[in-house]
Amino acid sequence: MRVVIAEDSALLREGLVRLLEDRGYEVVAAVADAGSLLAAVAEHRPDVVVTDIRMPPTHTDEGLRAAAELRRHHPEIGVLVLSQYIETTYATALLATNAGGVGYLLKDRVADAAEFAGALERVAAGGTALDPEVITKLMRASRQVGGLGGLTPREREVLKLMAEGRSNAAIAEEMVISSGAVEKHVASIFGKLGLPSSESDNRRVLAVLQYLRA
Amino acid sequence: MRSKAGSRSREAGTRPAAVGGLRPAGGTTRAVFGTPFTRRAWRELLYAVAGVPLGMAGFVLTVGFLGPATVLTISLVGTVLGLVLLVTGLRVARLVSLAQQALAGYLLDVRLPQLPPPRPAHGVLAHVDARLRDSAGWRAAAAAILGLPIAVAKYIAVLWWAYGAFSVTSPVWWLMFRNHPAGRHLSPIYPGGFAVQTWPGTWPAAVAGAAILLAAPWLVRGVIAAELWLSRRILAPNDMTARVAALERSRSEVVNEAAALVRQIERNLHDGAQTRLATLALHLGMARDKLAAGGPDEVAAARDLVEAAHAGAKEALVELRDLSSGIHPPVLDNGIGPALQNLAASSAIPVRVTAHLPERPSPAIETIAYFSAAELLANAVKHSSANLIEVAATSPPGGPFVLTVTDDGRGGADEADGSGLSGLRHRARTVDGTLIVTSPPGGPTTVSVELPLHP
Repeated sequence: MRVVIAEDSALLREGLVRLLEDRGYEVVAAVADAGSLLAAVAEHRPDVVVTDIRMPPTHTDEGLRAAAELRRHHPEIGVLVLSQYIETTYATALLATNAGGVGYLLKDRVADAAEFAGALERVAAGGTALDPEVITKLMRASRQVGGLGGLTPREREVLKLMAEGRSNAAIAEEMVISSGAVEKHVASIFGKLGLPSSESDNRRVLAVLQYLRA
Repeated sequence: MRSKAGSRSREAGTRPAAVGGLRPAGGTTRAVFGTPFTRRAWRELLYAVAGVPLGMAGFVLTVGFLGPATVLTISLVGTVLGLVLLVTGLRVARLVSLAQQALAGYLLDVRLPQLPPPRPAHGVLAHVDARLRDSAGWRAAAAAILGLPIAVAKYIAVLWWAYGAFSVTSPVWWLMFRNHPAGRHLSPIYPGGFAVQTWPGTWPAAVAGAAILLAAPWLVRGVIAAELWLSRRILAPNDMTARVAALERSRSEVVNEAAALVRQIERNLHDGAQTRLATLALHLGMARDKLAAGGPDEVAAARDLVEAAHAGAKEALVELRDLSSGIHPPVLDNGIGPALQNLAASSAIPVRVTAHLPERPSPAIETIAYFSAAELLANAVKHSSANLIEVAATSPPGGPFVLTVTDDGRGGADEADGSGLSGLRHRARTVDGTLIVTSPPGGPTTVSVELPLHP
């Protein structure tokens, strides 16, 4: 899998390159700002991009805007956005059109190489990777208290993992339960929240997020 | 013709002595006999002529609005209309004051104090409230009302010119109208005065006219001087208003500075320690995975990663320490003296510190003094090529706290070139302190920061 990295801190950039190369990915370019990122993508056509949000020159949301542009012009390339903070508005902006091939994670997640690589794989394959923190924030801010209150603790856990973009198999593995049990929980959640059931993981993410934001 | 813009900017602020001041230029004789023929006298005459209708109109309009408005408002019958008229009257007074300012600026090259704009307000009631509390508007109204006697004075002064001009030319008039009907007299001064019956009789009248003409410009000038003095008195914000304006300005500086500082701290954390810790976590995570795998190559790689993580942790510590001592240096807890010693110890140029403070200043003052000293030391190291810097912190009994930083370098420090001096001045001003810079080319440079002991 071919990766382009954009991160303005040389230290962390090198760390990321090392981590990904160590796990057998091919890092074709590692750059320090959004302009170079777009150029590198045009040149190398990677499978997936990892980008910081705050980068030179303005140190505000360059990476986010670059991500939006990549998704518009190269929908086949997965974009994993890394950030020091979680802003639900950023998540909303990233997922505005569709949840396929996009991820938004806290930088903290690089501490767990396997999990980070898993998220990257998912995004590269056209799936979603939302930071658990985003979901927690959305659930806390959600006005659908009544709806969420009707869920059992187990179901809430499944809902969170589902919203992060995980497949049923991944949820089963995470929660150490059978796939069948996960499916039962999912069906029950959709029933209780009145959501249209969906086969695709991405649509499922969007449906849940929309519900939380409503 | 002299450059108007140039003279205006040059004279702004120091102008009062120039207009109306009786300052003979080049001998008393020339001052006495030349004055009616100077450009300035003509401009002043023109100003006085224009001032008569303006002053009258200003008075009539202002009183015309404010008088009935006050009666209506108080009567409670027409309060709403009264308030509307009051607000309109105040606005008219402001316009009159603006016209007055423009006239004085254009003809006399004098800058009258500008009225501060009224506070913006949303909603009808708030608007009315703001306008009624607008002290500048009321001052303009007072000026407009006083404009009546001034206009009368101007009128009389202008008449002097006219009579003088008429009288001095009366021999000519006599000849031109020699066939005037019997019994008609030509009198240089109306009413009464002396009646002229013969042509030679007009000669003394001409002499009298010349005298009047010589005096007229001085009269005009005197009236204008009195008017300008009054206008400045009335229109200029009083001490309290000026103080409020200064406080508002320094408050907004403080607020903005605080916000910028917080932003800077956030950025330093984000780009510094936070990134270092994320990288550290990344390295440790990888090391853990390697150790779990257990092969000899993996263990060697893990050692490498732990090495990197260890170095990263130490760097993060340094960074955090620098950042936190930049927010509040712990050494300040022991007082400004030891803190200055501490600063001196890390300076690239030798620093001698003397601190003599019978009373300890408030923490806020100490903090300002400390950061000022740090900035001044950094400036000196960067720009002065000095061999020695002296830092003194003193406080005479009952007096303010004075921090003085002197270097024997090349001097020429300029507040305008972004040396940070203006930032220090702002900071001092927030507690009513001052900053005095003496830095002649060639040195030495002395900067004194004077702060109250307790803000």
